[in-house]
Amino acid sequence: MTARRKALLTLDDVGYRYPGSDRLVFEGLDFSIGAGEFVALVGGSGVGKSTVLRCVAGLIEPGVGRIDTPSRTDHGTRPSAVVFQDTRLLPWRSIRANVGYGLSGLGLSRAKRDARIDEVLELIGMAELGGRWPHEISGGQAQRVGLARALAVRPHILLMDEPFSAVDALTRTRLQDELLTIWQRLNMAVLFVTHDIAEAAYLAERVCVMRGTPARLVFDEAVPAPYPRERDDQGLNAFAQRVAAAL
Amino acid sequence: MVQRPASAHPNALPAPRRAGATRLRRVLLGLLGVAAFIALWKLAYVFNWAPRGTIPDPFVVPAALWREYSGGRLIPAIGSSLVHYVWGLGIGTLLGFGIGLLAASLRVFDDAHYMLARILRPIPPLAWVVFAIAWFQVSHAGAAFVISIGVFWVNYFATASGVRDVDPRYYELARAFGHGGFFKRITSITLPGAAPSILSGVRTGVGQAWMTLIAAELLGVPGMGQEMNSAAGVGAYDAVVVYMLAISLIYTLSDGLFALVENRALRWRP
Ligand SMILES: Nc1ncnc2c1ncn2[C@@H]1O[C@H](COP(=O)(O)OP(=O)(O)OP(=O)(O)O)[C@@H](O)[C@H]1O
Ligand SMILES: [Mg+2]
Repeated sequence: MTARRKALLTLDDVGYRYPGSDRLVFEGLDFSIGAGEFVALVGGSGVGKSTVLRCVAGLIEPGVGRIDTPSRTDHGTRPSAVVFQDTRLLPWRSIRANVGYGLSGLGLSRAKRDARIDEVLELIGMAELGGRWPHEISGGQAQRVGLARALAVRPHILLMDEPFSAVDALTRTRLQDELLTIWQRLNMAVLFVTHDIAEAAYLAERVCVMRGTPARLVFDEAVPAPYPRERDDQGLNAFAQRVAAAL
Repeated sequence: MVQRPASAHPNALPAPRRAGATRLRRVLLGLLGVAAFIALWKLAYVFNWAPRGTIPDPFVVPAALWREYSGGRLIPAIGSSLVHYVWGLGIGTLLGFGIGLLAASLRVFDDAHYMLARILRPIPPLAWVVFAIAWFQVSHAGAAFVISIGVFWVNYFATASGVRDVDPRYYELARAFGHGGFFKRITSITLPGAAPSILSGVRTGVGQAWMTLIAAELLGVPGMGQEMNSAAGVGAYDAVVVYMLAISLIYTLSDGLFALVENRALRWRP
């Protein structure tokens, strides 16, 4: 099903070395994400998942290979947007102002920006809390705000770096389901980095695994289960075990 | 559920009335402390603990206040001091902030000036009085100059360290959301992130300025310092106390006012 979609993001033999480091974090990374596709990137701690995400987000330049990202964007949008594990809300901005952070400089009128903020706050179920400060909301709510901030710029691809790893299990389950709902409503691709195999299998259409030093892509398969999924689905569990074997 | 009186529980929170009572107790003890000080002062006056005539009777201070006020000295002296204060504080704060910001955000500038800063920093502001007199004569400008030096350093260090301490992850966020350019980065991340440090520097400067102000005026620039000096010259130590109290009052007012501004600007803090 992936091959039929137009590729939105393509990595072509990409490698990266941190300045001052003598070894590559990863090399020979070759994969693409189609428009609207949900891909999970799984790997052990320190394997380079966050680094891949930074490359894709354009925060660092890959030393080797090339990355093709959606360059031309429609008015009032950004090609990609990042959701960070540590939420990274700016403590000196209200929730509303945090959500609107990426909207300035897009040439939107004040009224349009406000409408966007209202829309995504509604989407994450926090319409009432826009006036609060970041220290006045819970960890799960902060993650939702981080997601809303990214959604506000209507990205073609949403880049998520272990967004739910710092919240409790119950909140995490709820956030996962909310994310799926939002993804199905908005027409955007998702690159979801996680070290949680069950999470990757439950959420994604396709799971990729990175392993080794320097890391390479050792696994790249579609998840054989349609949405909506059950968490204890037999097929999902079998798939998760194969992912675990590849790790 | 077993009901028991809150006070019986070892971890029970103090009831609201208790909190009110401790506050009252604090105010009463505070007043007692002031009264004890005045009593001690009176004793020192009565028993001549210092050379005769150099300790004024605390109870004549109100009369001295009236004398200074009706003699047309108090208000002009306060006005003149405030002129030095505002100029010195304003110039020192702006320069300290600007150069501190530059030092922390431009590597070249930091490298080029750090040694000079290390040489100039230890020189006490009052050591500049000699040059202040040489360059500005005995004038408002001279006093403002001396004040601005002390204020400058306070703000320079507060701004530079505040800016350096801004979490670099916020800069990554700025780039991820299209605000990586110099101006956007400074306004959306650097300044708000460093604001607590910058503002506490400004507030320290608000106090620091008074310290150097009086010393600078003792040299003869019109103001409270000069009035104190001339009052002491004719043995009117009660008048000296009047000016001391005036300084205390104005400092309390200006600091309180700035604290309001600070709390308003930093109301996002937990
Ligand atoms: N700024 C940096 N400079 C040098 N090396 C770095 C830097 N950031 C990360 N690394 C190294 O690069 C490797 C990959 O780091 P990365 O953060 O991408 O891993 P990760 O897969 O996201 O790990 P985790 O699951 O723990 O978040 C690690 O070995 C790490 O030590
Ligand atoms: Mg990581």
